Amino acid sequence: MLKAIRKNSFILIVLIPILIHFLIFEIFPLGFSFYISLFNWSLVGNHEFVGLRNWIDLFQDPLVGKSLLVTFKFAVYYILPSMIIGMTLALLINTKLKFANFFKELYFLPVVTSIIILASVWKWIFVGDKGGIVNFLLETLFGTKNQKFFSDENMALFITALLSIYKACGSLMIYFYAGLKGLPSSVFEAAKIDGANSWKALTKITLPLLRPTILYIVIISTIDVLQTFESSFILTGGGPNYATTTIVYHIYKTAFVNMDMGYASSMAYILFIIILIISLIQYKVLNKDVSYGG
Amino acid sequence: MCLMAVNKLNRGMQLMSILNLKKIAIYFLMIMLAVIFVFPFMIMLGGSLNNRTVLVASPSMWIPETPSLKNYRSIMNDELVLRWLLNSVVISAIPVLTSIIICCAVGFIFAKKRFWGKQVLFWMFMAVLMIPSQMTLIPRYIMYSKFNWIDTYWAFLVPGIWSVMYMFLMRQFISTIPDSLLDAANIDGCGDFRVFAEMILPLCRSAIATVATLSFVSKWNDFMNPLIFTSSDSMYNMIVGLASMLQKTGNFGIQMASAVVTFLPTLILFIAFQRYFTEGIALSGIKG
Repeated sequence: MLKAIRKNSFILIVLIPILIHFLIFEIFPLGFSFYISLFNWSLVGNHEFVGLRNWIDLFQDPLVGKSLLVTFKFAVYYILPSMIIGMTLALLINTKLKFANFFKELYFLPVVTSIIILASVWKWIFVGDKGGIVNFLLETLFGTKNQKFFSDENMALFITALLSIYKACGSLMIYFYAGLKGLPSSVFEAAKIDGANSWKALTKITLPLLRPTILYIVIISTIDVLQTFESSFILTGGGPNYATTTIVYHIYKTAFVNMDMGYASSMAYILFIIILIISLIQYKVLNKDVSYGG
Repeated sequence: MCLMAVNKLNRGMQLMSILNLKKIAIYFLMIMLAVIFVFPFMIMLGGSLNNRTVLVASPSMWIPETPSLKNYRSIMNDELVLRWLLNSVVISAIPVLTSIIICCAVGFIFAKKRFWGKQVLFWMFMAVLMIPSQMTLIPRYIMYSKFNWIDTYWAFLVPGIWSVMYMFLMRQFISTIPDSLLDAANIDGCGDFRVFAEMILPLCRSAIATVATLSFVSKWNDFMNPLIFTSSDSMYNMIVGLASMLQKTGNFGIQMASAVVTFLPTLILFIAFQRYFTEGIALSGIKG
């Protein structure tokens, strides 16, 4: 017994504290979150047990419905455009021309930059008066009047999504690039001999072969969208008229501004369940569909 | 005969010019996109060197006529900003150091050791990656306020001591180390501690560099946790500090200079360790 402990002392000394840490900071909050959701829980004062009332309220709250709709609209603005740009970037750097690597690093720069830093510039680029660069360009090029980007309901969400696209397409480029590198070159040589042009090769060969990569990107992008928060926080404060209140922003407001922790916990749980389902689908789909057949 | 040769030559030249045209088109597209991608950074840099307090929309705005470091001087004299920088360094650097050691040790165990329940434990760790961090924000906030950790470094240092993601990265890397190397060390009578310190850690240099850069940048750029777990402005990190500036003052130059200062450590690390960033992203799917 003692010998076994001594033999495995490294494992025990490392894993036991880590396991305890893991249980306290990762596992316990999961259960605790559900417990909180059964209470009328504000930080000060007593917690009042309310059973499943928070969970029932959820389905009658117009703001929950609205934040789901906003998040869905955000996904529409964000997912396809960021994938098209990411794919374009990947194809460009995959030409392996001179300096392609340099451009790759440039396109990647927004990915490592904090979204708050990018939003600080975004805020000034899209300022709603003559001072905004976009307004300046629109006026000189098209004679458009000053657009109040952040006080227009549709525009505000679009500009917020644009920031996310700008930040994310560099990482999508890397995923697509990795996918492109993994494709068998023999197929392309065969296509060239058959006289297929580049566009045909792209749509008929490359994209179908990249199906697993595309699926993976769609799924991680969806999860990303479901967690969008920062850009609304900085650029619009969720407004105007809740037009940029995403799910997570709504949870944040409910928990830490209105101090309604119980209700916010039930919302966070719903979000968790949605993301869990998507992750499981990802796991299933990708495990079935990764080989290029040869 | 001669005609045929000329024809051939012509066709060859046509082909070459088509190829060149294609090349030129690709470069043109790449440069155009690069300009768009770099544009916000130029605004940031130009604005920070500017004397103006509001953004004036003319090309002169991002190429300031008389560049001055006035904005930088004024934020560097701001004690609050210096405090934010210090906070950022503390809550980014210390977790990186502990993460490297712990993730490497745990990764080593999962890659090379055999013990009862290993698979179950490993997948339990990995399952947590599916949990969005916002999910546990509320319970963690209540926990930390019970511990009196709100508004202290503990709320960042203790929970951030290691992370599953980087453990996984380490495990993947250590799996590629041949067993024979470790067996030889075991035959020589080296205990696990010596094997870990004298073989695994040095062999993992490039994995450690990846983990260090990725985790430093993600902690430095962390917004949600410091936003929730701090309450007084002297405990903000630089990112939350910048966000609070954006919501209060409308001074363009000062805001851009703060943004540049916040961005600088990331940029330096990125230039120095580019390879690790893109590799890390491709490996793990984490975004900076």
